[in-house]
Amino acid sequence: MSPVVAVLLLVAGLSEAAGRLLPVVARLSGVSHARVVGLLLAGAIVDGAVFALWPLSAWAVAGLVLPAAPSDETALVWTPGLAAPLVLAGVLAFPLLGPLLHLLLMVGVGVGLAGALATVAGVGWWEAAGCVAVAGVGLGVSVEAVRRLVVKLNTTRAPEPVA
Amino acid sequence: MIGLALLLLLGGLGLVLIAEALLARYEVLVYVAGWRPPTISRPDGTSYARGADPNRPPDAYLIYLDGIGKRRFHDTRDGGRLVKSLINRAPELRVLGQVQPYSPLAVPLADRPVWAWLRRHIGLLLFLHNVMQIFVAADRRYRPLYNRAVGAQIATELRVAGYRPDSGIPVVLLSYSGGAQVASGAVNELWSQLRTPLWLITLGGFHNGANDITHAQHLYRLTSAGDWIERVGTWIFPQRWRLFRWSGWNRAEREGKITVHRLDPATHIGSRSYIAPEARLPDGRSHLDRTTDTVIALIRDRLSLTAETDGPLP
Repeated sequence: MSPVVAVLLLVAGLSEAAGRLLPVVARLSGVSHARVVGLLLAGAIVDGAVFALWPLSAWAVAGLVLPAAPSDETALVWTPGLAAPLVLAGVLAFPLLGPLLHLLLMVGVGVGLAGALATVAGVGWWEAAGCVAVAGVGLGVSVEAVRRLVVKLNTTRAPEPVA
Repeated sequence: MIGLALLLLLGGLGLVLIAEALLARYEVLVYVAGWRPPTISRPDGTSYARGADPNRPPDAYLIYLDGIGKRRFHDTRDGGRLVKSLINRAPELRVLGQVQPYSPLAVPLADRPVWAWLRRHIGLLLFLHNVMQIFVAADRRYRPLYNRAVGAQIATELRVAGYRPDSGIPVVLLSYSGGAQVASGAVNELWSQLRTPLWLITLGGFHNGANDITHAQHLYRLTSAGDWIERVGTWIFPQRWRLFRWSGWNRAEREGKITVHRLDPATHIGSRSYIAPEARLPDGRSHLDRTTDTVIALIRDRLSLTAETDGPLP
């Protein structure tokens, strides 16, 4: 991985973490600035790592399910052009439309990855898209499960208003 | 050349929009995290309530929640006309118009240094900020927090203005445009803090219909066929569609809690708006007069019904 891609993925992780932070922080009563910064940095590293794993996971899925298994020498990797749009992941925080815009962004980046996988692995675009989608959904579900667990372990719920 | 300029303009506007949308949630975060308490201070000479004599209980308290033009403690030009008109014609009401519907911290935009600069240079951004706050208030992720913040702000203002919890004095939330999102969201917090008989009046209400208004006794919807902004709200928010039977709005409708009153041919904004003093009706009244009369009639009718039944209505 080139330094440029590493920086891009870290910034993308920070952007994604910032987009997810408020709903988490909002459930922490009296949270300090330091703790928010800590959560943000931890989130940036985790989300950046998840982004970094996406092409590798798609490559692994392709190796498992496709009849013409790709060789390990030309593994699918991020390029600056493919990774750059992920910097906008913070759009998740956009009020009301955030989740939809975030989904569209991920689909757009996934389309780029699918094209690259199809070229590198010498498979059809739809097969490549399927592998990228399976890898992306799998990683997304895994990290969401971890995120919810961490929130559950760390959250002191603010008192709910009495109905 | 023109195409490039347009592209740059749209690109710049898009970036401003994204930045504003991301910053819009910051105030909710600050409020919930407790990094800064909501303000209750206001400029000298600004009263906590106007209208009825503060030395005796009024017939009802009326909170006016303005549209997206609200950026100071004192009234906006258009909203101010309505408030003054209500105070003049209904001296039995105690009226509060200083609530900041688009600020969880109750800090007027005009009092913030950066926004004061923006107001002088790019005034449109103030409206954009308040529009974004409506979307934050409507967002599933932030709505409970926003509702709690503004509900608590209104409860504090009422207490400062002399309201006593469990006193049974009705509180009317009169909201214009996007203020309806905030008004419907404040219901639960107001009920939990003050146990007040609560009536809602929306004037061209722009809201997503997701808020639970179980604790409001009634909602009067003042609308008009000429109000396309309110109509857009009924289209873009799924909870306003009949299909979403269990949304707060549709449940209230099934329970008979919502009454529609038409103010045709008024528009949402402009020289023929609900609160336009120049636009005339066939009977000679201005749109402002009719809106004022309607609001006061609804409150007085409700008050007399309450008095007849000797207690709050269902």
